[in-house]
Amino acid sequence: MAVKQSAVPKKKLFTSKDWAGYVFSAPLLIGILGFAIYPMVAAFIMSFQKTSNSLVGEWVGISNYVYVLTDQIFWQSIYNTFYMGILSVVLGVILSFVLASLIYNVPSSKWRNFFKGVYFLPNVVSLVATSILFTFLFNPGKEGLLNFFIGLFGFDPIGWFTDPTYSRFSIVLMTLWGMLGYNTIIFIASLTSVPRDLYEAAEIDGANWFKKWFYITVPYLKPIIMFMVIIGTINAMKRFTDVWLIGGTAGNPAGSLMTAVLYIYRNGFLSSQMGIATAASYILFMFILVLTIVLLISNRKNNFD
Amino acid sequence: MKTVPIDSEIKKNQVIAYKSIKKTRLVGNIVLTGILLFGSLIMIIPFLWMVLTSFDWQARLNIPFPPRFWPKEFSIRTYTLAFSNIPMMKYIFNSLLISIGVIVVSLSSALMSGYAISKLKFKGSTIVLVLALSTMMIPFEMTMIPQYLLFSKLSLLDSYWAFYLPALNFAFGTFLSKSFVDQIPASLREAGIIDGASEFIVFLKIYLPLCLPILATMVILQFLAVWNDLLWPLLALQTPDKFTIQLGLAMFSYNKDLPLPSVIMAATTVSLLPVILTYLFLQRYIVESIALSGIKQ
Repeated sequence: MAVKQSAVPKKKLFTSKDWAGYVFSAPLLIGILGFAIYPMVAAFIMSFQKTSNSLVGEWVGISNYVYVLTDQIFWQSIYNTFYMGILSVVLGVILSFVLASLIYNVPSSKWRNFFKGVYFLPNVVSLVATSILFTFLFNPGKEGLLNFFIGLFGFDPIGWFTDPTYSRFSIVLMTLWGMLGYNTIIFIASLTSVPRDLYEAAEIDGANWFKKWFYITVPYLKPIIMFMVIIGTINAMKRFTDVWLIGGTAGNPAGSLMTAVLYIYRNGFLSSQMGIATAASYILFMFILVLTIVLLISNRKNNFD
Repeated sequence: MKTVPIDSEIKKNQVIAYKSIKKTRLVGNIVLTGILLFGSLIMIIPFLWMVLTSFDWQARLNIPFPPRFWPKEFSIRTYTLAFSNIPMMKYIFNSLLISIGVIVVSLSSALMSGYAISKLKFKGSTIVLVLALSTMMIPFEMTMIPQYLLFSKLSLLDSYWAFYLPALNFAFGTFLSKSFVDQIPASLREAGIIDGASEFIVFLKIYLPLCLPILATMVILQFLAVWNDLLWPLLALQTPDKFTIQLGLAMFSYNKDLPLPSVIMAATTVSLLPVILTYLFLQRYIVESIALSGIKQ
């Protein structure tokens, strides 16, 4: 042993510090290898195979991709996903930005915290509970709370979740209720980073609150707004739980709630067409990847820290 | 022209001007608070309605018309029915078990790797960080099918290992820990090593206690994520005995017509209790954690 040690050159390839680093990172690396890299590669291979419930199958070339790309239901699901995603992100960012500006200007910190707490509350509630709750609130009959409310203004009951004309918008309304607080508190946190002397200078120049808001606050928070739009869109691409609970695996009513992930779930786990499902997931991933790249570029450009 | 206003008159005018500014400010604040209170009502009413209706025995078959908030026939029998129809306690216990396991595994992995990347600066640490950050971009929906098949092959489906093992890859936690440890001086480690402590002891005894704030943030993030998740439990768990609370609730109400309104509302209320109670006690802290992690992301 002693002889061997002296034979080792003085400069070792890995120092003990390196070894400690590898041991410390081993759990993470195992996790990355097993649950990120491996599934990505496996999914890629599977997307070229005809498989049902197994990792290997008959090689079928690009026919899974052809099937997905020519499947009308897939394009319907992409359309629905984007429709609900874009609408909820745009409305959500605008509303939460206004809301954050309002809360930020509340003079008493006690009330500020109260409002932050209240508006954020729906965000800790699970999508399962939210979906169940809104199925009752949006009950298509006249006994639904929302229908009763619009009935007071003389409107007929609306089939919020049962009429394909309204179902997607109803999901957007539900999403707004659930997610508004998240964007809001992030906006509030970043509002505190706007230098106060900018406002004071503007005040001396005689700017009113709207001008201050529009010419100082909005440009200053532009990177954060941009960031929220893209993160929100990426998350919206993954919509599953609420539409599955409300519209079932068919995305009812009339397929208006069929989303991309629901399409993947349906093909993979109900029809056991895992090759088709993984092909669809790669196509969805391409959509998400493009959005992520846009995020990274805009992030680097603005470089806010 | 020739009369110069006397001091007291200027002061009087100033006071009036000041008072009017103060008055508009006050009115503005009242309007502001009013708008925000109205909005708060919209946020709260759905909960309030659900919780109150869940005590309404008459609402067990149909939602009452006209809608009412106060139960006509107050009863806790809806809750008894909910508990006898759905093994709620079992599901809550399962969810807790999974949450705790995932938190322990993911936080250990994240803190250790974050510390190593920040302070040990081993060969290839940058590669590890970049690798971790790029896996954050892979959505779970992308990897769920091979992951499902992997656990099926390992015969670990329908067991909680299907939750604990993937928790090893908590890349966002690694990133959070790394940026937190970056702010702690490296001289602490050197001093410890000189005193003869091993790398692991240095991490455990010196750095870990200093990491408590970020640890708490990660506990909150992971607890909310795991407790509220549905998709992976839906795929991985098959025996009803092992269901999480979300899956159990979803399976019970997975029916377009939602029978037994007030019973389902009672069950939903119970499913929310752990999260809402935590929120009530740690509200400010949770809000702060989410804001911090959101900005960091």
